[in-house]
Order: sequence, then C-alpha cells, then structure tokens
Amino acid sequence: METNLSNRVRAALVALAGLALALALAPAPAHAEYGDVVINNHSDAAGVRPVVFPHWFHRVRFRCKVCHSDLGFKFQAGGNDINMVKIIDGQFCGACHNGNVAWSVENCDLCHSGKPGTPTQVHESTIQKLVGTNAPAAAAPAPAAKR
Amino acid sequence: MKTILIAVSLALLSLVAGAQDKGTGKATYEKTCALCHGAGIAGAPRFGQKAEWAERTKAGSEKLHASALNGTAKGMPAKGGSPSLSDADVKAAVDYMVAAVGGAKAEAKAETKPGAKPESKAASKVALAPAAAGADKGAGKAAYDKTCALCHGPGLAGAPKFGSKADWAPRLKAGTAKLHASALKGTPAGMPAKGGNPALSDGDVKAAVDYMLAAVGTGGQESAAAPPPAPAPAKVAAAAPVAVVPAPASPVAPPVVPLAVPAAAPRSSAAIDPNAFNRLLAAPGKRNAPPAEDGIHDPANTGTHALQPPLTALGGMNPLGAGNRVNWVSSLEAGKIKPRWDRDDPNANAVVMDLNIVREVKGSMPDVVYPHKQHTEWLDCSNCHPQIFIPQKGANQISMASIMLGQKCGVCHGKVAFPVSECRLCHSKKKDNQAPAAALAGTRP
Repeated sequence: METNLSNRVRAALVALAGLALALALAPAPAHAEYGDVVINNHSDAAGVRPVVFPHWFHRVRFRCKVCHSDLGFKFQAGGNDINMVKIIDGQFCGACHNGNVAWSVENCDLCHSGKPGTPTQVHESTIQKLVGTNAPAAAAPAPAAKR
Repeated sequence: MKTILIAVSLALLSLVAGAQDKGTGKATYEKTCALCHGAGIAGAPRFGQKAEWAERTKAGSEKLHASALNGTAKGMPAKGGSPSLSDADVKAAVDYMVAAVGGAKAEAKAETKPGAKPESKAASKVALAPAAAGADKGAGKAAYDKTCALCHGPGLAGAPKFGSKADWAPRLKAGTAKLHASALKGTPAGMPAKGGNPALSDGDVKAAVDYMLAAVGTGGQESAAAPPPAPAPAKVAAAAPVAVVPAPASPVAPPVVPLAVPAAAPRSSAAIDPNAFNRLLAAPGKRNAPPAEDGIHDPANTGTHALQPPLTALGGMNPLGAGNRVNWVSSLEAGKIKPRWDRDDPNANAVVMDLNIVREVKGSMPDVVYPHKQHTEWLDCSNCHPQIFIPQKGANQISMASIMLGQKCGVCHGKVAFPVSECRLCHSKKKDNQAPAAALAGTRP
C-alpha cells in the first residue's frame, strides 16, 4: 500500500518535471506557410531531415488534380507511404522530380529540409490548431525574430 | 476428344479472364463510372437497374463497349471522361455494370458460346464473393475509416494510434471481448460509445476493433487460434462475440515503433499563445515567412536557403485575409497564375462544370452555396466523388465540427484551401432569398 502511494507521488513528480521541461524547452510556435506538409514517416529513423512539401509552391504551377487524381496522392499527410525507391521508380514525387518536369532526386536537401523531430502533419491547418502539435520537438533554438 | 479438351480449356480460360476483368472492372467503375452511373446523373443508366439497362444491353456488348470508349451524343463522355483509362479497363467496367443487371449471359453469347454457362456462374460468384467473405474486414475498415480514424489515426485524446503496437499492447492484455465492450459502451478515459457514431451497428463496431487489432499484428494470433479458414479470422471474431484472448506472448515492444512524438511537442503552442487558434490574429510580420524563419525548415540545412520565399511568388496575387493570404480562385480567374491541368501538356484545359449546390443550414447563418465551377477549375470529379461526397442530394451529412476535424469540406478547407475562418465565402446566401447566390469565392476581394 505504502509503496503504491510513494509510486504515485513519484509519478506525479516526474509528470510535473516533464511539464516544466516541456514549457522551458518549447520553441516559439512555428508560423509555417499555410498548407506546408511535413512528412516524417521514415526520415527521423533514417537519420535524414524530414521532408517539407510546400503546397503553395506546387499550386502556382499545377492544379490539385494533377497530383491528387493523376498521380494518386491521397488527401492525407503521411498517408501515401512514399519512399525513395518509389520516387526513383517514377511514382509520387518521382513522376515530376525526375530531371524532366522538375529537378531530380539528387537534390536531397531541397526536400529533406525540415527540422529533425517535426511530426508528420499539415502545418497551420485547423486540426493542428485545435490539437496543437506543431512545435518541432528538437530543442533547436528558434530562429531569432528580428523582423 | 481433342475438341472437347479444347472447349473445356477455353471455358476455363475465359472463366479466369472473366474473374480478372471483374476486379479491374469494379475498380474502374468505382473510380470513374460510379459518379454518373451510381446516381443516374445526366441520363446515365444506373448501376443494377435492369429497366434502365434493358434497352442498351439488347444492342450487344460490342456496341456498349464502343459507346463507352467513344462516347455518345446523349452525354456519355469518351471513356467516362477519364482518358487515362485503358480500353480494356473501360470494357471491363462496362462488363461489370452489365453483369450487375444480369446481362452476363448475353455478353458471353456474343463472345464465346462454350463459355456461356460457366461465365454467368462465375459472374454471380464473383459478385457474391467479395460481399460475403470480405464483408467483415470490409465493414471493419469502412467503419474505421468513417468513424474511428478521426481519433485513432492521429492518436487524439489519448486514443491508441492505428498500427502502433506500443499504444495497443497494454489494452490487448484485457482481451478482445473487453475491447469490444469498451468500444461499444465507451470508457471513462475518453472513448465515446461506438466512437460517438450511434448509427454504427454492434457488428460494425466490433469489426472496426478487429480491424485495428489486426493492424497491430493480433490478426496472426487470431488466425493461429483457428488455422484452416485463414482468410476470415475477423469474421470468426465478429460473428461470435467470444473472447479471443491474445496468446500469452502478447506483442512485446516492436522493433519499429512509429516515431513517438517527444513529450515536449503536444499542446505546447496552445500553452504559449492563447490566441493560437485564431489565425486572423497572425501578426503581419509572421505571414509568409521565408523558409529559414518559418519554424519548420531547418536553417542549418543548405537547401533551405535555396528554396523560394513564399512572398516572391504570392506577393503579386489577389489577397485574402487568411491561409496563404492569397485568393487562389480569383488569382486563377484573373490569369495571375497559370497552373497546368496536365503534368506534361501546358495547353490542357480543365473540364469545368457550372452548377451551384445550395445547402440550407440550421440556425441564423446564411445558407451555403457550393460552386462546382470554382472547384472543377482545380479538381477532377473523382477527387471528391464518391469517396468524400456521395453525388446525391441530401446524402451527405456535413457539420462544422467534422469540417474542422478534417472531414468532408475539411479535407481541403482548413489545410490548403481557404480555412474555416472565412465563414462567408461558403455561407453566402441570405435566408430570406432576397440576395441571389452570387457571392462566390471568386467575386470576393
């Protein structure tokens, strides 16, 4: 019984410490461009930066239909199980990023440009604002706001 | 003797081919044809309606194939308006629709006489098989996609995430029967009864639970408990609400745990900025930040600095008060951007459909006017129909809550298309019917 209680106290302390740590380390909230998708299905595990997909950039050049109908991208962040093999095989991003329509896969760091630890999601989306998981997890210092 | 052999093998071949065609036929039908042939739009004969097909099937399958491939004067577009389909796909889809009105015999007669009988049998078998065998798995997945995925997908409100063994392991210990009961009745921890969707049947809920369990590898254990009918373990579990307690060796920490979001991440932004939800209050200096300063790109990455800053592209476009601060629809209309409709062909044009759908809403908000025109400038019919919106008046339940959680309109609006803060872009028709339904997205500043 007593051990049970002390366990509970310890758990509470740990939780409190965790919360304090979270508040102390939490970087300034991201203000990513609306619709930027971070895809981190495999990147962190593979030791590369997560992918940032800018919707706005592609939207200037292509209608939604080209990717979401012709190329088969589902309307779900991280829901397409994309990997480099598929891309090199000409699927998903590789349908254009092949050196033909757009630049090719050797420019790793143009896509793999996210802060490590950023979770897969659509940034600035309503659901992100409601649930609030937009901060990159790494304790990397937030860029100084000098604007 | 020889001739008999040949005839038999031909019949078998056509049987196999028929079954394969049915698969692609069904897929093509669902992706392309169902939009019109499901609801009977524009005079299309409806799927499964014998009366509507009778006239057409008389002409023979050759003629029907030709109509589907080349289009008809009555309104059928060539290949159903989807030129990327192969001829074989289109024919298979026609055959699939013809089979659904019992026309398999006629079709078989036109092609191979010896195959007539087996083919019609095959057709009915194929039509029945997915309905019966796949029912429980299908129902489980459907219920999951429709209801459970909202929380169990991203792991909202402490819900165990789909496919995450670590999340599910402690729950599995209680046994499947307990999990079924929790899903049906809800739990104090936050699970609402039937996932908050009372329209689901008990069977659906259980099937959805089984579907989620299968995704974390308990499917294997269930099938180990009942080895011979391997393809239908979910069915066994759902049909008899017997506790299928996971084997003692319950899944230990899996080798590949989906990336756990570190504790620092969740809700931190909400804790810091109480106005974080209200994106209208985003300070001007924080709009359209260049990649290196936007908080998600890594400034230490050289590639980050090679990326185009949003303002250089978006600066000259028509403004909007939210989202990218750009009115994409009016910018497209004004020719400020010329996004391609086809990956390769810069001259391909959108197939625009000009049809407004008015949705009357409860309460004092103006009714919603949904313009097909602006949407079809960007999207293909199949992007929304029939997966997100059933193309039938009154068949779609839409609420602001579901939109804000990323469903229905919220699949795009609130993610890439203008967000829910722009109420009046959708709620644009006054209730008293004095104002015409003209206040569309494009006409707003």
